[in-house]
Amino acid sequence: MIERWALVSGLRGDLETYDLIQRDLKKTRGVTALFVLGDLVGLERNCDALLDRLRNPHRGDLKPDCIYGWWEEQLLAERGFRGERKADALRLSQGEDAVSALLNTVNPSHLKWLASLQFGFIELDCALIHGSSSDVGDNLTSETSPLILLDRLTRLNVNRLFTARSTKQFHLELTGGGINSQVKDLNGKREQQQEVPKRSVIGIGAGLNYTLYDVGSDKTHFLTASSTTNPKGKGFA
Amino acid sequence: MNHAIISCLHANLPAVEAVLNDIDRQGIDTITCLGDLVGYGPQPNEVVELIRKRDIATCQGCWDEDIIDGLNACECSYPSQLAERRGHLAHQWTDDQLTDENKSFLASLPTSLRRDRLLFVHGSPNSQHEYLLPDMDAFAALERVETAGADILFCGHTHQPYVRELRDGSIRVRLQNADHDCDQGEELTLPMRKIVNAGSVGEPRHGSTNATYVIHNDTTDEIEIKEVPYDVGRTCQAIVEAGLPKVFAWRLSHGFEFAEQAEDASHVCER
Ligand SMILES: [Zn+2]
Ligand SMILES: [Zn+2]
Repeated sequence: MIERWALVSGLRGDLETYDLIQRDLKKTRGVTALFVLGDLVGLERNCDALLDRLRNPHRGDLKPDCIYGWWEEQLLAERGFRGERKADALRLSQGEDAVSALLNTVNPSHLKWLASLQFGFIELDCALIHGSSSDVGDNLTSETSPLILLDRLTRLNVNRLFTARSTKQFHLELTGGGINSQVKDLNGKREQQQEVPKRSVIGIGAGLNYTLYDVGSDKTHFLTASSTTNPKGKGFA
Repeated sequence: MNHAIISCLHANLPAVEAVLNDIDRQGIDTITCLGDLVGYGPQPNEVVELIRKRDIATCQGCWDEDIIDGLNACECSYPSQLAERRGHLAHQWTDDQLTDENKSFLASLPTSLRRDRLLFVHGSPNSQHEYLLPDMDAFAALERVETAGADILFCGHTHQPYVRELRDGSIRVRLQNADHDCDQGEELTLPMRKIVNAGSVGEPRHGSTNATYVIHNDTTDEIEIKEVPYDVGRTCQAIVEAGLPKVFAWRLSHGFEFAEQAEDASHVCER
């Protein structure tokens, strides 16, 4: 079966953007799944309408599968869902006002649902995570050392890692290389050679910038949801 | 100059004394300890006090951390449920025995020590609980050393001493689906790095009952794994007398336990 995934992140409460993406996807052929890789909430605007829509999709919406991201992690930590930890990372980077602003953008009735979201999905040989297996805030880009990218892929033992934290769109493929290793212990020496496996890290973008992934052909398409209404589009809801 | 690295003393006083004697005999006076002063063994206070008296630079091990923070490590620290239950028993016993003063000493230990290009940790730079096994993925191993900004990483925690050299590494990458279609890709040349595991003084699991530690020459970078025999029977008897699980004595008198090795070296505890 031909599968095509849509990957979205960084909506941060922006229902209008989500709506534009849903409209785009309706016009796109063959999209079989919609993954929302975290940062559903943010502090710029009230997030309740978007959360309502994600939890109760409209008729005709592609049903979203959501995981939590860095902003949910901050919110949930501050609301006592992460044991002793609080929104320390946010507090450190943007101060106390940002923390209280974040608390005010989400109605507490959504917290339990947000807390039920998973850290990531493993689909086929792909991992879908907001940051990486190392941390929800792991900021991977095409500039990140390939050694670190390979480490993140190895930890999950997957061939492709879809990540969103950097908000960038990129598809970086590890195409070759290797390493020699010699281990000496009390039993003697042994040599080992290891090849770089053919694996990729894909940044899916954020907000209006989203990604389509064709599973069969391993092709990514980096798209931007268009704010102009398609004149041929029928306006029914 | 030669310096010695010891790890995983595990409250085994006869083993610690034997190793320190061996180091002293060679005229080596810089010693670094990679933690796990306590746990499993019958003389936690004696071992901590000896390390304090000798003023040996020490980083905090997984057992030292757990005694201070309580057992909130995820179950990844234990390879089996049986091992976990025995670990909990030993934890409780050690917690009861240790004086407050010795506990605050363990609490004061840093998670890593650095001397120029040498980095000393208990498990890995990421966590006191992460196992860097000798055959783990070579790129992941190199990533631990490189990300920590070291040339040589000294670790313990596996109780198996080894020296691993990672060299001639390279990774080729190519941007797919980029604006500039002519992307030919690029190649990253990886630096040569070493991981040195100091083994275990007080609870060896390398297949012999001897205590192990390592000596590094910081001019030539030569590394020697040392084995030191000690009075295993004395420690075993003390374990039984203390009422600790007998399997710890059995393990010491055999030098290894095949059932208790971490299976997933890449797993990182994320608590
Ligand atoms: Zn140990
Ligand atoms: Zn340990």
